Amino acid sequence: MNVLRSHANPGSDEFRANLEANTALVEDLNAELERVRQGGGERARERHVSRGKLLPRERVDRLLDPGAPFLECSALAAHGLYDDEAPGAGIITGIGRVSGRECVIVVNDATVKGGTYYPMTVKKHLRAQEIALQNRLPCIYLVDSGGAFLPRQDEVFPDREHFGRIFFNQATMSAQGIPQIASVMGSCTAGGAYVPAMSDETVIVRNQGTIFLGGPPLVKAATGEEVSAEELGGGELHSRTSGVTDHLAADDAHALQIVRDIVATLGARAPLPWERAPVCDPVVDPEQLLGLLPTDLRKPYDAREIIARIVDGSRFHEFKELYGPTLVTGFAHIHGHPVGILANNGILFSESALKGAHFIELCDQRKIPLVFLQNITGFMVGRDYEAGGIAKHGAKMVTAVSTARVPKLTVIVGGSFGAGNYGMCGRAYSPRLMWMWPGARISVMGGEQAATVMTEVGQSETGAQLREQYERQGHPYYATARLWDDGVIDPRDTRDVLGLALSAAGNAPLGDVRYGVFRM
Amino acid sequence: MFDTVLIANRGEIARRVIRTLHRLGIGSVAVYTPADRHAPFVREAVHTVEIRSYLDIGAVVGACAQWGAQALHPGYGFLSENPALARACADAGVTFIGPPPEAGELMGDKLRAKEAATAAGVPVVPSFTEAEARQATAGDGIYPLLVKAAAGGGGRGMRVVDRPDDLDAALESARREAHAGFGDDRVFIERFLPRARHLEVQVIADAHGNVVHLGERECSLQRRHQKVMEESPSPVVSPQLRATLGAEAVALARASGYVNAGTVEFIADFGDPAHHYFLEMNARLQVEHPVTELVTGLDLVELQLRVAAGERLPVTQDDVSLDGHAIEVRVTAEDAARDFLPAAGRVLSYARPRETADVRVDDGIEPGSVIDTAYDSLLAKIIARGSDRPQALARLDQALADFTVLGVTTTTRYLRGLLADHAVRAGEMDTGLIDRRGVPAGPMDDEGVAVAAAMLILADRVARAHDDPFDRVDGWRLGGVRAPSYWRVSVSGGEPVEVTVPPEYVDMVTALGEGRFAVDGRGEWLLAHDGDAIWIGHGGSAWAVRPAAGGAAADIAADGDVRAPMPGQVLLVHAAAGDRVSAGDPLVVLESMKMELVLTAPVDGEVAELAVAVGDRVVVDQPLARVEAPAA
Repeated sequence: MNVLRSHANPGSDEFRANLEANTALVEDLNAELERVRQGGGERARERHVSRGKLLPRERVDRLLDPGAPFLECSALAAHGLYDDEAPGAGIITGIGRVSGRECVIVVNDATVKGGTYYPMTVKKHLRAQEIALQNRLPCIYLVDSGGAFLPRQDEVFPDREHFGRIFFNQATMSAQGIPQIASVMGSCTAGGAYVPAMSDETVIVRNQGTIFLGGPPLVKAATGEEVSAEELGGGELHSRTSGVTDHLAADDAHALQIVRDIVATLGARAPLPWERAPVCDPVVDPEQLLGLLPTDLRKPYDAREIIARIVDGSRFHEFKELYGPTLVTGFAHIHGHPVGILANNGILFSESALKGAHFIELCDQRKIPLVFLQNITGFMVGRDYEAGGIAKHGAKMVTAVSTARVPKLTVIVGGSFGAGNYGMCGRAYSPRLMWMWPGARISVMGGEQAATVMTEVGQSETGAQLREQYERQGHPYYATARLWDDGVIDPRDTRDVLGLALSAAGNAPLGDVRYGVFRM
Repeated sequence: MFDTVLIANRGEIARRVIRTLHRLGIGSVAVYTPADRHAPFVREAVHTVEIRSYLDIGAVVGACAQWGAQALHPGYGFLSENPALARACADAGVTFIGPPPEAGELMGDKLRAKEAATAAGVPVVPSFTEAEARQATAGDGIYPLLVKAAAGGGGRGMRVVDRPDDLDAALESARREAHAGFGDDRVFIERFLPRARHLEVQVIADAHGNVVHLGERECSLQRRHQKVMEESPSPVVSPQLRATLGAEAVALARASGYVNAGTVEFIADFGDPAHHYFLEMNARLQVEHPVTELVTGLDLVELQLRVAAGERLPVTQDDVSLDGHAIEVRVTAEDAARDFLPAAGRVLSYARPRETADVRVDDGIEPGSVIDTAYDSLLAKIIARGSDRPQALARLDQALADFTVLGVTTTTRYLRGLLADHAVRAGEMDTGLIDRRGVPAGPMDDEGVAVAAAMLILADRVARAHDDPFDRVDGWRLGGVRAPSYWRVSVSGGEPVEVTVPPEYVDMVTALGEGRFAVDGRGEWLLAHDGDAIWIGHGGSAWAVRPAAGGAAADIAADGDVRAPMPGQVLLVHAAAGDRVSAGDPLVVLESMKMELVLTAPVDGEVAELAVAVGDRVVVDQPLARVEAPAA
């Protein structure tokens, strides 16, 4: 197999300028992530700890196998929303290994507004469940939440993808044999009470966890009955009398140990649907990624420079190298997992779309997961191209992307504009997981193009306004705040993130292929 | 010289004898019991015979005939000083590698040996009759006394008596132990020196009247009369005293017609060892003989073989000189932290010091060896020689640091502590020193061990992993940070400890393969799995580390209320309010649905309430009793 070589020149001014600019972006990202890690702030954290409770991230760390990695999802959810008073949307989600099994972990952060559900909290919780469903990963809910954030009840309660969907998902996942495990480590009020109640097996912490449909104030208002939270729905009551919970824990650490013991009873994960190969690091230094990426998205560079830095041994078996060269396709391994990579090297022409469709079918046939490295301004436009049927050729690629049963993972490394987003497995195409790099942008078209289009149709004022709007809304933080992706990542983490995602994705078996490969 | 010799022993001494036999081109026969089938000495012998017991004289002597062994080496312990073996050998025409039966019997009888010593002009400890001891009072200088078994050895059947009141009990227990141990319940009474050194002289005599002594050994460091550390020469024996002790030992050997290797033991005054008294003569090769070998350059087993074969001693007294200083420690399977309780288990991993001209390891174990408490707890003897005593001590400590056994608790760490003791370093040793000292703290507290164990477990997990990205243990997180790992473990059976291990610690460990790990700046460590526990070891220390259940997990069921699990009638009431009960004690018996249900105390504590009487009808969930745990 061909070993890719880099043509980057670390000594060049351009490289140094890129490095400086991209390092600043990564530092800003890390600062935002650090802010989110602090949850609801120093005082809320102190209050939380003073009650004998572990902070949510320590709960995660203690739940996971010692030293195990945690692939956190959408850490910057709700960034810039709700006056920034809900860091991470008050919930931590991700994939991590517990007692040897990869699980989806959903943890309320009670230091953020008592762990109540903002609209983005609901969306993030549902997205975590979707990840669990698609990858057949057991779900662990560490519950510590006051339920729906009441001032925004219209955005969290009534609709299909709102609060009630959480319990629907629990029931339907359980029905599919995806274990649902909850540990009640704080409040679990009203709708929240259904998270433990709907779980297969539930733990509660004595004198700390409570489960009730209506809390003491509501009970008093409704019936005049005066009762303490512990009497109304504490661990002793639910473990000895109501049977809502199955295990009574003495404290957080004990509860987490019980959850680990529960997961240990689940048995081994499903075998990987594909073969893993021995792992080796890329021979081209991944650290150089930051010096390589142009800060101007319009500036082209060879996508193979990225591939060389994320695949095992920088080995890449390229497919149809000489045909449709604006889309680079080929086979490689990431952390031992076989992958078929599609990476943009310019705009999509009919040939590149056909090549992409063909390659996706090949990978699907061979049970090779797909990795999309998106940097796309769109499909080619113009009379000749329309006449050449670019719409139908593009549609072939979109069909192939939509119907391939193998796991798809998408990283937006540059621009993600227009129909290019569709063909390259954007959010609407349900990649198992999807990330953005800090310098990437996403919108229906570039701000510049939008402005030009509006000017062309005689609305130049709107055009100028759109340019600013697209620039703001296309920013990765804006996107990730709204769960358009599963997180913004340091480009240098891409290889590890993809490796973890592939291992997680391998928990779900693959269905049958229904057609042979259509040669395009 | 013989061409085949049988070793009527096991473990390290069997290996040690085999080593000399094979060096001299003599064939070896090992006898072994089924439990020792896979022991190294069995494998190393040329021929083997399975027997049922090492004490079965008929089987042992019979095994000689089976492989044509012309001689039998008894080692130490077991039958080594049993005159019946020497006689059985003589009857079977097999040469017993030891003293003639008469000399052996004489020395085996402590009372007669003492008489012989007196006759040979060797000073002996004043002794008393039972009547004298009984009539004496605490103040007249007779007490403290020592009650000793006439047939005894190795401290068994020995009792120190401080007051006349304790005499009878000591006599009785010494007799009982002597009877059980040697089948001879005769005991005698001697003056006991409260602060004494133990000195002994190695002699070797041939059948031609030549007797040579090989200098002294000091074995003052003893625990419950068992030698722990031995050295030669003694740091406090002058050349003149050496000559005196040697002459006395030779005189006694000569007077008693002694042939072969023997050891004449003395106790000496701590302050002035010139004041010394004959204790006993051991008619066999001693455990601690290697220190003599290292300073004299002689192979005592070879000398034993030569004189047993009728050869003249190849050395004269003038040929013998002590070159440098040698010290031995006995590593035993005992738990120093638990009052030296015998330890058992399987050797999971065994790191052994590299042997050199100055470092010798006489061991009987290897990975996989099963140590049970049926036999002597001696696992290995580590012996180091130096040009002087400090060098020997330093080499010995280094050798101990390289001696690590996982799977069985050993005294290695304790011995290193002993070597570091200022009195030991200064040579100011007496037989009571060890008991006065107690057990020094180990090099690491439980938290430190737990952290080390966590680091090794993680490194081991990586080494065994299959490259899956989720197998990493470095606490990887997004955003350029890493998470610590949390551990709750019990170290060597102690109370659980909780530790948090920073992710950076994981980077300090490199797996070297086969359970060996390098830890940055902390040398080499061992790890072995033992069921759900792991053992880690380093520098002679080893710890069993076991995962411990969650914090307050134990008391989660500690609800003191006892309720009726179903409706029924009270049949019996076993307790009353105010009673102290333990968890599991029956409180109330209910008859329900034709069954008798015994309701027990859920926790330890006091019965605070017992609300029912015999004959009462109760409904489901009715409170019957309440036990209150004592306030912590």
